[in-house]
Order: sequence, then structure tokens, then C-alpha cells
Amino acid sequence: MGFIILALKNLLRHKIRNFLTILGISASIATLFSIISFNKGFEANLQKEINRTGLHFMIVPSGCPHEVASLVLHGTVIPKFLNLDVLQKISQYEEFEITTPILVAQIFNSEKGKLDLVYGLEMDHLDKIKPHWKIDGEIPKSDASILVGYEVAKHYSIKKGDVLSYENVKFKVSGIIQKTSSQDDAFVYMPIKSLQRIINKPDSATGIGVRVKRVDKINSIIEELRQKVPGIQIVTMNEIVNSLSNLAASAKILGLSIVVVAITISALGIMNTVLMSIFERTEEIGVMRAIGASKVDIFQIVFFETVLLSLLGGIKGLLISLVFSNIIEGFLRSYMPYIPYGKIIQFDLFLALKCLIFSVFIGIIAGFLPALRALKINPIEAIRG
Amino acid sequence: MIELKDVVKVYQRGAEKVYALKNINLRIERGEFIAIVGPSGSGKTTLLHILGCLDKPTSGTVKFNGIEINRMSEADLLKIRRNKIGFVFQHFYLIPNLNVWENVTLPLLFSRKKTEREKIYSLLESVGLKEKIYHPVNKLSGGEMQRVAIARALINEPELVLADEPTGNLDTENSERIFELFKLLNVKGITIVIVTHNNDIARRVDRVITLRDGKIVE
Repeated sequence: MGFIILALKNLLRHKIRNFLTILGISASIATLFSIISFNKGFEANLQKEINRTGLHFMIVPSGCPHEVASLVLHGTVIPKFLNLDVLQKISQYEEFEITTPILVAQIFNSEKGKLDLVYGLEMDHLDKIKPHWKIDGEIPKSDASILVGYEVAKHYSIKKGDVLSYENVKFKVSGIIQKTSSQDDAFVYMPIKSLQRIINKPDSATGIGVRVKRVDKINSIIEELRQKVPGIQIVTMNEIVNSLSNLAASAKILGLSIVVVAITISALGIMNTVLMSIFERTEEIGVMRAIGASKVDIFQIVFFETVLLSLLGGIKGLLISLVFSNIIEGFLRSYMPYIPYGKIIQFDLFLALKCLIFSVFIGIIAGFLPALRALKINPIEAIRG
Repeated sequence: MIELKDVVKVYQRGAEKVYALKNINLRIERGEFIAIVGPSGSGKTTLLHILGCLDKPTSGTVKFNGIEINRMSEADLLKIRRNKIGFVFQHFYLIPNLNVWENVTLPLLFSRKKTEREKIYSLLESVGLKEKIYHPVNKLSGGEMQRVAIARALINEPELVLADEPTGNLDTENSERIFELFKLLNVKGITIVIVTHNNDIARRVDRVITLRDGKIVE
């Protein structure tokens, strides 16, 4: 029998009490792990989403930057439109490789009796805006053809060649976009002219996507545009990333401050549990000292007890966050205005190890005072009772 | 083996000074079997603690194998306790969540010693616990518990065994068995000092030291 086994056996003496202490630690470690991995996943998935768009910046009517981010990444119906005069003005710039208007609207699908989110795009620019798309079928060549996202096609059982009606206008499905595992799967893509007609907004767009020829000149071009074209807002993909990352960072800070409170409470829980068990074992510790245990030995026993408590708490916390990651993610998704597509909370072994080490570290700090208290036990007084 | 000269032990109890031992002069030779008797509060246990290097006298000298222990550091006293002395208590003081084997071998953990399993088996056999090696100690009878405590005191092969009322919580039959065990150890050469109220035991040892009010009375 070694010190660790001895410590473990001591913990087993009060199963319920120690179980509750471990539960306290595990709750705080589960929260810590979930928040950090959510934040990491958020940034990684956000970058992936940004990389999927082939555009460098968006020109939109002045408004909220989060709204723009949602527009660019997910498609949101913003009740403001850019006049295409703006497009004409900016299409004169030679530095632009593509300027493409994007119109997003919710329109009635007469066949299915539901509202669909429809993206109006210049179909000629599709290969540049969405370079990663693979289409079963072909890009619409006429104003009467549309593309359908993977999820929409699956949900409605739409096949290539089917006909859909929007506001009594018939469209032939010229192709189905293969699964992208992004929000792109959830839309219908229509030539922008057709969408403008349907919603009765000729020559307008929700935004204009721009791809420049030379990326290093983006900043000077944007500066020039801001001065020359009034009533617009220019949002670069970097700004979108920053704006959303800030959003995630604020959520992280809020979350971490809750973790600090939780960890303080669980550290006090450890301290209380270990201190209580030392008070109960005063006689026993005194006898151990009498039969040859040094102060270091006693310290070791108490130390291993707290390390075991916090280690078990940490492991349990990681297991909890693994098992419940989908629920935690679902909960966060329903409360955050924007969350990138795809699974955000991933199990990162390195992060898990760091959380475990942190948990043990907290245990050691919390166990220090009780261990010192145990050292002060005088064997003679303890045995006398 | 142990020599006490003018040993005084004073405790502070609130504002009051309590003289637990007054001018004790005592020599214990190797291989002796000694009983310390006396009324409650006469200083028996204090004397036992000083003999066992658990406590230091307020004044006077204590020599263990010729070395003055009142000048020794805590670490050196601990070494003597680990290697030379075995303790047995009235209330056994076993660790309740450990089994017989684990309780008996606990001192080995502290002294970082390894002892062959055979030796431990034969020790447990000698105290009559061979059948109960893996029993939890809280399921044992009082007599068995005290035999576990004696085995624990013997595991480091001490020169001296100190027992504080070892039969105080036992019936006559079990007291007798424990006394026989001590006698056997003494025959093997181990010095035994027992604090006892049991006159039956006191009558059968080599020497009886009687304490009254912290003094040895003849």
C-alpha cells in the first residue's frame, strides 16, 4: 500500500460527501471546458465560413454590422435596399475583379405552401462568389431557372428538372447544390433580375459583394469608396470576423466570470471537505505520527486526497461536457445572434489536459490550508483525546 | 537501555501549571518486563510518552541507548520511534477503513521499508490473526483489534514495546491472551513497558513502578 492508495481509501470512507464535492468541481470544469472549446470552435468555424465566400468586402446600406455579418454568412432579410446606381458608380473602378449585387428575400413557395429564403445573384458570377460549390446539374442560364440548396432539396424532395412556383412565376430547377455543410444548404438561388421582379424592387440589392484584383490595395480602395459614395457601409470580411469574434469574446468573458465564481465555490467545497475529514481524523493522524509518520508523510496523505478529489472532479467534468456538448451548444445557439455552421464544441485533448491540470492546481491550492492544519496535530494531545 | 535523571514534566493548563512528573529517576534495562501502575492522573501516560520519544521532559535528561534524547531534533526522535519503539494503545487506534494487513503494514509505509510477505504472514500468525488477514478491522472483536495493534507495533522489529493500558478495554480472557503475547515477546528479548490498572498483570511482571502525583513511590 502506498500513499495514493491510502488517500483513496480515506476518500472512500465518506462516499456521499466526497461525491458531492467532486460534483461541484466537475460542474465548474465542465463549464470551463465548454466555454473555451466553444470559443475556439467558434473562431475556427467562422474563419472557415469566411474563406468559403469568394468576396473581399460587402457594400450595404448603413446599419448594424451584425446584420451585415448575418447577411454575408447566412442570408438575412434586411428591409433596406441599395439602389443599383451605387453598383453603376462602383463598377467603374478598375481595381475590382467582380462587383456583384446580392438580393435576399423571403418569398412564397406556392407548391409547398411555405416561405422560402431566396438569394438573388448574378449567375454569371457564381463560380467566383461560391468557388467551392459543386452542382448536380447546371448554373441557371435563363431567368426562369433556379438552383436549390442541398437541405432544401432534401426537405421538399426536389429533383433536378422539377418546377417550383414563386408568386405565380414558374421556375425550373436547373441544378441542386451538393452538400456544403454550411448555411448555403438552406437557400434557393435565383437570378437576381427574377427576384427583383417578384418582390417588385427593380434595380435594387441588399448588398454588393466585391472582389478586388489586388488584395493589398483593399484598404485604400475602401477609403476612397467611403468618401465618394454616400449612404453606404463597407464591411470587409476581416471586419466581419472581428465583429463576430468580439461578440464571441464578450460571451466568453461573461462565461468565464461565471466559471471563476463556480471554481471559487468548488475550491471552498474541497477545503471544507478535507478540513472536516482532518478534524474527524485528529486521533488517527496523531497515532500515525506516533507510529512513525513524519509531518511530510501526513502532508502527503492530505495532499493526495485533495489531488484525487480535484482530479476525479476534473475527469468527471470533462465527461459531462462531452456527453452534454450537443445540449450546451444548442443552448448557446438559441441565445447568440450569430453562430457559425457546423459542430462548434469539439473535444480537444490538449485543452482537456489543460483543464485537468487546472483542476488539480485548484485542488492543491484548496488543500494547502487543511494540509497545514493536519501538520499542526500534536500526537500526544491527539492520543489523549 | 533507557535512563531518566531528574525528569520533570510541566503542563500549562490555562493559568495553572500542572506538574505531571516530578523528579523521576529511572533505569530500564534491555529485556525487562515492566508495569507502570498508579491512580488516574498520576503521570503514567506522560512517563510512557517520554519513554517512547513522543514527548520531551521540561527538565532533566532522558537517555535512549546512551544518547540523550532531550537534545535530539524532531526528525531524530521520529527515527527512533520508527525503528526502535512499538506503541500499543488502550483504544487500539486502528485505521477503520483499512484491513488487518494494511493496518499492520502501515508503519512500513512511513519508514519506507520493504518486508517480505512471509515475515508479515508469520507475524500475523504469531498474534493469531492468520485467518483474518484481509478482514476489515472494524469487523473484528476487541481482542482481535488489540492483536492487530500489537502486530502493527512489532512490524518494524522494535527493541522496546510501550503499551498504554492494552487490556483496559478487554474482558478477562482476552486480557490474558494479550498478556501472554507480551510475555512471549519479552522472552524473545523485546523490552516491554505496560501502563496498567490490572493488578493481575502487574503481579506477574519483572518490575512494577508505582506512580503517585508524578512521583515514583517505592
